[in-house]
Amino acid sequence: MNPVEMVGMLAELERIRELTLDLVERSAPQLLPAPPTHADGAERTVFELLLGARRAVLGNPVAARGLHDLLVAEGQRYADTPAGAELRDALVASEAVENLRRVWETLSLNVLDGPASSNAAPDAWAELLADAIIGHGLDNSVLGHFRPEGFA
Amino acid sequence: MLTDPRPALGEQSNFVGYLVGLAHLARAVHALACDGQPRADPRREADDFTHLLLGVASMGDAINRLAESEPAQPSGTTDAPASPATNTRWLR
Repeated sequence: MNPVEMVGMLAELERIRELTLDLVERSAPQLLPAPPTHADGAERTVFELLLGARRAVLGNPVAARGLHDLLVAEGQRYADTPAGAELRDALVASEAVENLRRVWETLSLNVLDGPASSNAAPDAWAELLADAIIGHGLDNSVLGHFRPEGFA
Repeated sequence: MLTDPRPALGEQSNFVGYLVGLAHLARAVHALACDGQPRADPRREADDFTHLLLGVASMGDAINRLAESEPAQPSGTTDAPASPATNTRWLR
């Protein structure tokens, strides 16, 4: 394989990855209510930020899992300090955290939880992907999107 | 090229902006903790999500400590040993 073919293959893999993400996003629960497209200000910004966070998590599960584990470990270390323990207890008792947890679960679709090998995509992410593709009906119209251009 | 450091790119870096954004997120975590409404069922243990928020808060505190530390010395006056050229090529 020469360098040009290798770059072409990488570009094709990226195209397939984007199409797969589109499919998962269409199958996933929508964030409601969506602010109007002409809305301006903080509401629209937060909505776009949440959608971007979901795509970043779904599109980069290994990196997202790594960052997640890093923050959880740092949080556990912080919780061992007096200030951290006080904040932990306040967070556990807060209704606002429960609301945020629901938003987070809708966003991440829980793909960062559960078992995962080191430097590998979490099992829940692979299951979500399989559900989205197989549940969508793996027929010719779906597979057609994934074929390289020029292939019947 | 990755091996061609350009000062202009360094000037456009928004590294401080990232730190300010993280510190702001940490403040939001503290604000969540101060939320007036207590949970109906407060018996829950701290889980990964809670520790994730704590991790963000801890990073914000660390960034605030950076801001309170001594002002940075001008480039070239630091006592730290010079990094090999192979490492500094990433610093633009």
